[in-house]
Amino acid sequence: MMGLIFMAFIGFILALGVKRPFLWVLLYVYIDILAPQRIGFGPIQSLNISLVAFAAAFGGYLLLDKKEHVSFTARQGLMLALLAYCFWTTGNADFAEDAATKWDWVWKAFLFAIFLPFTLTSRARIEALALTMVLAIGMIVVSTGMKIVLGGGGYGNLKFFVQDNSGIYESSTLATVSIALVPLVWWFTRFGTVFRPHWAVTGLAVALIFSCLLIPIGTEARTGLLCIAALALLLLRYTNKRFLFLAGAGALGLAALPFLPQSYYDRMATITQPGEDESASTRLAVWGWTLDYVSQKPFGGGFDAYRGNSFTYRLPKTEEVGNTTLVEYAEVTDEARAYHSSVFEVLGEQGYPGLAMWLMLHLLGLWQMERINARWKRRSKRGDMEEEEAWIAPMAGALQLASCIYIVGALFQGIAYQPVMLMIIGLQIGLHTYCKRIDSARGSAAKAGRTGRGRNQRASGARDAVTA
Amino acid sequence: MIDKFALALGHALLGIAMLRLVVREGLDVDPLLARLSPKKRRARRAHEADAHAEDTDTP
Repeated sequence: MMGLIFMAFIGFILALGVKRPFLWVLLYVYIDILAPQRIGFGPIQSLNISLVAFAAAFGGYLLLDKKEHVSFTARQGLMLALLAYCFWTTGNADFAEDAATKWDWVWKAFLFAIFLPFTLTSRARIEALALTMVLAIGMIVVSTGMKIVLGGGGYGNLKFFVQDNSGIYESSTLATVSIALVPLVWWFTRFGTVFRPHWAVTGLAVALIFSCLLIPIGTEARTGLLCIAALALLLLRYTNKRFLFLAGAGALGLAALPFLPQSYYDRMATITQPGEDESASTRLAVWGWTLDYVSQKPFGGGFDAYRGNSFTYRLPKTEEVGNTTLVEYAEVTDEARAYHSSVFEVLGEQGYPGLAMWLMLHLLGLWQMERINARWKRRSKRGDMEEEEAWIAPMAGALQLASCIYIVGALFQGIAYQPVMLMIIGLQIGLHTYCKRIDSARGSAAKAGRTGRGRNQRASGARDAVTA
Repeated sequence: MIDKFALALGHALLGIAMLRLVVREGLDVDPLLARLSPKKRRARRAHEADAHAEDTDTP
């Protein structure tokens, strides 16, 4: 039944897309994030609806959409270069079969992120993409949040729509992505035009943000807690009453403490004691191994190169016997441990050139969003801005925060090619290009106006001379 | 039950959003950019008209 409902919904969007082909781009975003073919049963599982939406999105743009002012930006170029480089490393990978499996979804995520900005030609499209992402992720977040509130939760215990621990349905990834989207969710309460600012929109946004904040708590994802801390720190920049904000956040945190389960405290305590936690010790060992690996293979070992690692280390095991606590050190051997960090993931798989491109892609995004935010804020203060441009600076700020939080989360997880974050990059490029078009149109108009005035003055001077 | 509620709410909102986007005029052509462009055109036209006036006034 569920499968049929999903198919009906997809059919509905495909039909609407005949009039507005851009909706097929949104359909792909929805399918790529939520993965309805993995939630529903029946025919939807056997149909390749992701491919159908992919083809519709590209075909619709190429055949039916207007292609005015199309520009290929530096960040799209960086993504294309990184994609080409990944293709080369995949061909020379240490583990050819595993590398090919990862390549199979990475190239699609990159290609879609490169393509996305071409379609974002208007404010409505930028907002529609952000809204589709928020609602698709919101479905997963609301369901998970409700389960946490009603008593579920615990590390690895939560039941998501899909139980394969992959993509966004991996608890730490979901925690990072949901916290990264909090500023964007709030943006809709002030500047949304599809759902205009209204108490119902604010109510829904507050509930969604509350659910987002619950994800790291319910999943006991330590990275999620770091992301919440990063969000709180970064929000200080956008808050006028900083002391009040800090006091409120502190009070909220303290009020939440009694409701947290003991297992949560136990797991969070391992953040500060990495030596006593196998997961944390493994990370440090893998990162060390990766640095050694790239010193021998600076161009990387292709996707999943970590499968070649193996290391033995000593871990303390505490045991309580009566009133005595015994600490014994046992040797633990780990093999093929994942990177647990996007920086080391890219470094090990794509080497130094790949890491340089990946870092530049994200840093350039932070810088571009900072510039847009600052410029449109200045214009707003000077009154040198149309009313319809009020949304630009807050959107740039929200996208910059999303990137910052993703980077914090990515330091401790291998999510370097996470499709949702690549879509955020596409959204940032779309916004940047849109702002450049506004600047260009306004600049040309001003230049033409100045030239026209100059000629007017000269013509008037000539007329006066003739009359004299 | 929780899953069904979350999916139903999300799909309902997404469906309404798509319907609103289909009938929205500013989806394919941005109103702000469209307004700025005629300004540009008007300025260019004024500039050409001035140039023409200058030519006819010159004896």
